[in-house]
Amino acid sequence: MRNLRDLKVGSEAIVSSISGDARYLSRITSIGITPGCRVRMLKNDKNRPLLIFSRDTMIALNKKESESILIEEVKAV
Amino acid sequence: MINGKKVLALLGQPNSGKSTLFNSLTGLKQHVGNWPGKTVEKKEGSFIRNGEEIIVADLPGSYSLSANSDEEMITRDYIASGKADAVCILADSSQLERSLFMLADYAGIQVPCFLVLNLADVAKDQGKEINIKALAEKLSIPVCLLSAPDSKNYESFYKCLDEAFDKKTLLDSAALEKAYEAIEGYSELKSIIPDDAIKGYSSAWLSAKVIEGDKAACEKIIPLLNPESKRKYEAVVAKIQKGSVLTGQCKFAWIDDLLSGVVNKVQKKAEFTKFDKAITHKVWGKPLVILIVIGGLLASFIPALPFMGIGMGISALIAPLQEALLGAGAHPIVTGIICNVVIQSVAYIVQMLGFVFGVTFVFGLLEEVGIMARVSYVFDNTMARFGLQGKSVMPCLVSFGCTMGGAAGARVIDNWGQKVLTIAIAWAVPCGAAWSIIPMLASNFFGAGAVIIIVAILLIMILHMFVTANIFGRILVKKEDRYGMIMELPPYHKPKVGALLRYVLGRTKDTFLRVMKVIIPICLIFWLLSYTATGLPENTILYKIGSFIEPVTKVFGLNWKLFTAFIASSVGKEGAVGVLSALYANTGTIYGAVVGTNAANDIQTLLAVIPKAEALAFMFAITFNVPCIVALAATYQETHSAKWTAIISVYYTIFALILAFIAYHIGLLIWPV
Repeated sequence: MRNLRDLKVGSEAIVSSISGDARYLSRITSIGITPGCRVRMLKNDKNRPLLIFSRDTMIALNKKESESILIEEVKAV
Repeated sequence: MINGKKVLALLGQPNSGKSTLFNSLTGLKQHVGNWPGKTVEKKEGSFIRNGEEIIVADLPGSYSLSANSDEEMITRDYIASGKADAVCILADSSQLERSLFMLADYAGIQVPCFLVLNLADVAKDQGKEINIKALAEKLSIPVCLLSAPDSKNYESFYKCLDEAFDKKTLLDSAALEKAYEAIEGYSELKSIIPDDAIKGYSSAWLSAKVIEGDKAACEKIIPLLNPESKRKYEAVVAKIQKGSVLTGQCKFAWIDDLLSGVVNKVQKKAEFTKFDKAITHKVWGKPLVILIVIGGLLASFIPALPFMGIGMGISALIAPLQEALLGAGAHPIVTGIICNVVIQSVAYIVQMLGFVFGVTFVFGLLEEVGIMARVSYVFDNTMARFGLQGKSVMPCLVSFGCTMGGAAGARVIDNWGQKVLTIAIAWAVPCGAAWSIIPMLASNFFGAGAVIIIVAILLIMILHMFVTANIFGRILVKKEDRYGMIMELPPYHKPKVGALLRYVLGRTKDTFLRVMKVIIPICLIFWLLSYTATGLPENTILYKIGSFIEPVTKVFGLNWKLFTAFIASSVGKEGAVGVLSALYANTGTIYGAVVGTNAANDIQTLLAVIPKAEALAFMFAITFNVPCIVALAATYQETHSAKWTAIISVYYTIFALILAFIAYHIGLLIWPV
């Protein structure tokens, strides 16, 4: 399965699973990223955090940590 | 209740408009301190409602009520303390689904509350319509819409507040608890854990926290269990995996249910404006941020100008006052203390304060509008090397102009340890005063070699920041507290200038009082040390100490005169050359040079008498010395820690002397004596 880092700019995906320690899970959940939610990649530049759009919100995420967010790509609406 | 007065606590995620609401409610009636025993900033204020004074506590901003940080622990403990008579939960109407997470995390807490859907104007622009009445019925608490920039429209807010106070409205969490029951082990935990294991928190709430692996909650609960319950508890906990994800899914499902039929579905596209594209650009993002900082610095001078005028006006009083006092037969020492210490310090501080006011205001504006979050994104990778968040770049950039402004600008950093670390590394950035004297000195002493010195200073600055970040970072930003970025880039908000201005004024007043307390005693000591009845530097106490320890300071390439100027430069860098002129050429007094009342600097004399190696040592020593006494006071004001301010100061003094030592010995190799 692919992780969030692999998602191309402009593509959309559904989060299928998230893993990590309790603290990470709590933080990522509280900003609205949970299994089943839809994300759209806004920016995926080298040496920068990822920039995604999810639940009406623009969110910046650390790249390394985002590897633990697994996704299934869906057709963009 | 605090002293018989009702207490309202404000709870909300970052960017929910909490600070704006706090500033609007309390105006100038606010007080900033520290939470007892913690390093988190505590904001409290008050306002009058129906003739009754109501206390407002601004709970530290956090994304949830988990125990992941000091901020979240303080928030939880405050609610558990029972001090708050009502909690106002804020959510962002334009991102309802996500920002109602705080409400979902609150569900199960038995403290009266009401919900404020802020930024209603933004939601309206999106075409979003929210049925407040239906939402209030579903939650059984008062709900209102609010557009923070519109302070005349607070009537519905006050109505909700009154209702929450009078009827003690509790949030209906039954539906969420029902959803939790689908999580394996939840029901069992709930039957074991007593209500009020933490005061005010229901067993349902506590069970959810145990599932989330919340250490602080578990520690409170375990001692309350009997041996049999404890066994069951441990068996359940051992089986739980990814608890936060499980409860999080329940919470968002609950929010979805809540919003269905209450809000019309508007398909919102990602708002990626032209400005966003520019500021997050791979290549142009960073230069644009630097341009914004420069623009911000220039803009800071506009509100700063009146302060500077007042400061200079006060300065102008000194000469006539001095004459009048001496004419009336006052003792020269008394006159000196009144005029040169007290009034001169006040004048100096007022002039500097203008800059603090300007920077606090401009940075506050950038934060409120939403630009600061973009800056954080753009500089995340750069600043992560220092263990800091991207925003920390701002104070460092401002410090090229004025370290005091940099320290004041560090206010936008929401974590105490990172704030102190940011200020500590920002001190290594040579400020405007250093830039005004070092190139001048360097070109006089070394001609074209000045370029090499300036490049060396910039390289040492970067090295210094790395070393400092390494030494202090270990203690201030612990390894387990260093995470990758998880941050919202909020939609641009219209700032509420009036409320911000009142807040900044209040802060500036606080800074003024605190800075006075630091500066007057230090100026007094320095004045006494440099006092001379005859006008000869050899009569000062400074000379006596300086010449006594000269054998030691010589190791660093600093004779007593240079060392005196070095010490003076930690009071004010502008004065360092003036002090040398006073000591070598007898133009003006040492003290006058530092506080800026001496006339001319006599560079020609200095060139003739100071050996090149010593001059080199001196330049590095003063560039990387404590920036100035006002920056020191501002650091104390922002960190609320005398201990850390002292540690940083001593560290910088030692570091500067080590650099002087190295520079001196390299100098001796180039220009042997």
